[in-house]
Amino acid sequence: MKKQIASLLLLSLLTVPAFAKLQVFACEPEWGSLLEELAADKIDVSVGTTALQDVHQIDAKPSLIAKVRKADLLVCTGADLEVGWLPQLIQQSGNQKVAGTGNGYFMAASQVTTLDEPTVLDRAAGDVHPQGNPHIQMDPYRVLKVAAALTARLQLLDAANTATYQQRAADFTTRWQAATKRWEQKAAPLKGKKVVVHHIAWVYLEKWLGLEEVGALEPKPGVPPTSAHLSGLIETTKAGTYAIISAAYQDQKPGQWLAERTGVPLVVLPFTVGGDAHSGDLFGFFDSTIDKLLGAAK
Amino acid sequence: MTLEGLDISILGPAMVAGVIVLSTHVPLGRQVLSRGIIFIDLAIAQIAALGVIAAQFMGIDEHGFGVQIAAAIAALAGAGILAWTDRRWPKMQEPLIGTLFVLAATGGLLLLANNPQGGEHLKDLLVGQILWVSYGQLIPAALLSIALLAFLWFRSGRLVGAVFYALFALAITVSVQLVGVYLVFASLIVPALATTGISGKRQLGVAYAVGILGYATGLALSAIFDLPSGALIVWTLAGCALLVQLIPAVRRR
Repeated sequence: MKKQIASLLLLSLLTVPAFAKLQVFACEPEWGSLLEELAADKIDVSVGTTALQDVHQIDAKPSLIAKVRKADLLVCTGADLEVGWLPQLIQQSGNQKVAGTGNGYFMAASQVTTLDEPTVLDRAAGDVHPQGNPHIQMDPYRVLKVAAALTARLQLLDAANTATYQQRAADFTTRWQAATKRWEQKAAPLKGKKVVVHHIAWVYLEKWLGLEEVGALEPKPGVPPTSAHLSGLIETTKAGTYAIISAAYQDQKPGQWLAERTGVPLVVLPFTVGGDAHSGDLFGFFDSTIDKLLGAAK
Repeated sequence: MTLEGLDISILGPAMVAGVIVLSTHVPLGRQVLSRGIIFIDLAIAQIAALGVIAAQFMGIDEHGFGVQIAAAIAALAGAGILAWTDRRWPKMQEPLIGTLFVLAATGGLLLLANNPQGGEHLKDLLVGQILWVSYGQLIPAALLSIALLAFLWFRSGRLVGAVFYALFALAITVSVQLVGVYLVFASLIVPALATTGISGKRQLGVAYAVGILGYATGLALSAIFDLPSGALIVWTLAGCALLVQLIPAVRRR
């Protein structure tokens, strides 16, 4: 009996974690990077996808379920971006803390107003998101709003580190606002420039920098373009378009096809943190995006 | 390397799904192989998916039971066509199956030109992810498999013409949604292929053993090395099939 009790005690010692750090699961690298800025070593972050992956779909790996199972907080984009896999992942993990109603469920797109929210839901319009365009990470003002909401959530879940979170949030805000000003000055020549996009995922960037979207290779998301659309697009693109924009994770063939036929340069943007060699964090991501857009003029 | 995914509550439902799929696919695989029509599962799965797209086209609710009925009806219709061509042009069955496959796949693309969201359901239907299955989802699949096995047993394993194609269509429609088309193909063909050297009840036993071992090692390795489970199981199934060739009694022709 004594032996059994001793071994039980030993077992319980082994299973209690040494540091009960907040465990956070981020669906996309931009939120992983934001968490890094806001909490540094106070939390453990694991990121579910990479920049070179289409976040609409992911491969099911056992470790993903295990990570969500032990998570205290889930930080994802929301607005149906991850609708193809996140609900199953949460259900399979059986973790009530991060289920849709709890404090452990943080959707970035719910913290801001989204663009392109459809007034009528119609299949004919393509693979649209009823809650608006989810690709909010390309607007620094929305990122800042998400940062504020995320800081509040971190404090709620981990009150012991409130001071750290507040201090880091203030620090991040200062640096972010200064960087935003710098990006806007640098990107001033881009204002009013016409662009053609691959997938309509760039509305936030366009609105922020004053770019004008004149066409899309895939006007209805998820539907291959018809030949009539493409021939019309060639004409539009030739009429003074500045650049053709595509994301790093996408197939570059359609963009190259259009670039060859029109002489307009194709610009492959990182789309999120980790999308190219310079996008190591959120700051690098915006630096690289603007440098590449400016580079199209040469 | 990581051990955190090595958890019975994560891998358990996937393993049960594998056993359910194997239970019907191992005996069916032997017949598919002896008829020389190995791509029939791809064709039937694609036709079932076409049925789902067509159902959405007609405005049937996309998540409900109606989709399953549509998939089953389409698969059975496809099976009916194949049973007929099998009687009419037995020598040309394999190229006809191939043609039907590409027609179903591209027919789906044409229908989807105006219904893009169907694309996601098409993907769901063809690329079922073995890790996402829940026990609740497995119950109807298990019941249907038991019914199919009872029928097989009643017929002492011999299936002819239309009956074979009908059973096959139902089994594939269920299994593709659970584990995806790659694993269905591998579960059907690989254990049967590994045991062509033996006959009778022993063949079935060894084929089941290969299949179960393949799924178990695949799931365990995918947890340890953090790789996508479905794809890895295809490789471990093939690995187990090669390993049993080391046993002289299995290899002997």
